[in-house]
Amino acid sequence: MPIQGLEILQSSASLRGQPSGMRRVPFVSKYIDTSTCIGCKACEVACQEWNDLPSVPTRVEGTYQTLPTLHAQFWNLIQFREAEVDGNFSWLMRKDQCMHCADPGCLRACPAPGAIVQYSNGIVDVNPEQCIGCRLCEAGCPFNVPRFSAKTGKMAKCTLCVDRASVGLEPACVKACPTGCLHFGTKDDMVDLGKERVAQLKARGFTNAGLYDPPGVGGTGVVTVLKYADKPELYGLPANPTVPATIRASKGPVRWFGLLSMAAVVLGLVGHYIRFGPRTPPGPPPQPEPQKGEGQ
Amino acid sequence: MTISRGTLVGPPPATQSTGDPAILAAGHHEDIVVGDRMVRFRAYTRILHWGVALTFFVCLFTGLPIWTPIFGWMALLFGGLQVCRWLHAWTGIAFAVLAFVQLIHWAGVMRMGEADRRFVRLGNFLAYMRWETHDEDVGKFNGGQKVLFWLSTLAALGLLLTGVVLWFPNLFGRELQRISLLLHDITFILFTLLIFGHIYLTIAEPGTFTGMVKGTVTTAWARLHHPRWYRDVTRTRR
Repeated sequence: MPIQGLEILQSSASLRGQPSGMRRVPFVSKYIDTSTCIGCKACEVACQEWNDLPSVPTRVEGTYQTLPTLHAQFWNLIQFREAEVDGNFSWLMRKDQCMHCADPGCLRACPAPGAIVQYSNGIVDVNPEQCIGCRLCEAGCPFNVPRFSAKTGKMAKCTLCVDRASVGLEPACVKACPTGCLHFGTKDDMVDLGKERVAQLKARGFTNAGLYDPPGVGGTGVVTVLKYADKPELYGLPANPTVPATIRASKGPVRWFGLLSMAAVVLGLVGHYIRFGPRTPPGPPPQPEPQKGEGQ
Repeated sequence: MTISRGTLVGPPPATQSTGDPAILAAGHHEDIVVGDRMVRFRAYTRILHWGVALTFFVCLFTGLPIWTPIFGWMALLFGGLQVCRWLHAWTGIAFAVLAFVQLIHWAGVMRMGEADRRFVRLGNFLAYMRWETHDEDVGKFNGGQKVLFWLSTLAALGLLLTGVVLWFPNLFGRELQRISLLLHDITFILFTLLIFGHIYLTIAEPGTFTGMVKGTVTTAWARLHHPRWYRDVTRTRR
């Protein structure tokens, strides 16, 4: 059920409206500094606790990572990666979760009205009551985040703790982080904080440090400081994420083509009927046989 | 009453029956003359056709509200979008199976001949749409009907393959899921346009619809629309 205190900016499979603006709220964002993450997983525990998610059986794959990948009941996963950059070994951690894109591909792909909403503060949330479990959000997401639960038949993902955020609290993961690598606030503030940290990192020799806030999806509600921002792939992040072209095509020009061509063909056929009418039914068939063989 | 092609029809339909002999004959036999009518489609053919049509339309009406919210109201006919989501998939399987059975049933008679290729040449087809052509060489199905059949079968195959990918995306990967969505949309749009044309020509050509309902058409109709079929069927006449 959508959060009552926030207006809705965009809703899946619905006409685009503008919020009334009665209660203006700035876009919020989570700030993640991967350079100070120690991989303690306090955020994972806090997420499971706050969202009442049961533990998920895992597989040991010779890594500290809790699960191989995100799960319908595990929305916040610290990914552990080992990489060699410029001859230096690096242990890279990344917080894998919904990025809360300003232009959410999941919302664009979703066919169920109101199943995915973007609140006026930019948070992208799922409404399970409307979700039909078609899994098209998976196709729309450039970050491979939404997860389908066969158990519930619904999609699930990080909500950026919209229930907490809407009453002025930080998300559970931010609250739990012991190193201060997570912060929460308005998007502008978090971008400023990120720039500050990037400057520090650059001063310390990480010349390629940068802030991951990809413009291809209109910027994200989760900004990430990367030591090697020139190679986000090292962290498992796409370099230039966008809403997939196939999704934009099928929800845009192809759909318009379909609607217009169907209307055009129906009108054309009506026009044809008016102009040419039904083909004149054949009259009585010429019957040479009876005429010839009358005396038979 | 005359029943032609005596080899096909044994004694006239059951003696106690008071039904229309042409319609009774259409139960089991096609391509025969009964009185002033001809049996165009026997019961099996018709059941197959209407099975394909019914499953097609259930798929269409459950798919359209998923395609665009403009058709969201259609979902209410089935009990909501949640119902459409699974009904669409299962009916799609039924549609593909029936289309396949229909392919087996009609593949032979739908082979494109010289007259068929001539029929679908653009100039000729436009002339046909002005009710101006008459080709003595048109058989049981004209070129347009044959093209419709092959395109429909192709569309059914395409919709099945892309549909299965969309149903079980984890087995096929994200990129294939995305491409399948696009292809599923494009295929269904073109297919639906074809079906609009198919239905329209049944309306605009009086005497046609009854062939697929009762199974019989008048000999006059057959001579006008399918002269070679008429000749073939009546040639064996004693």
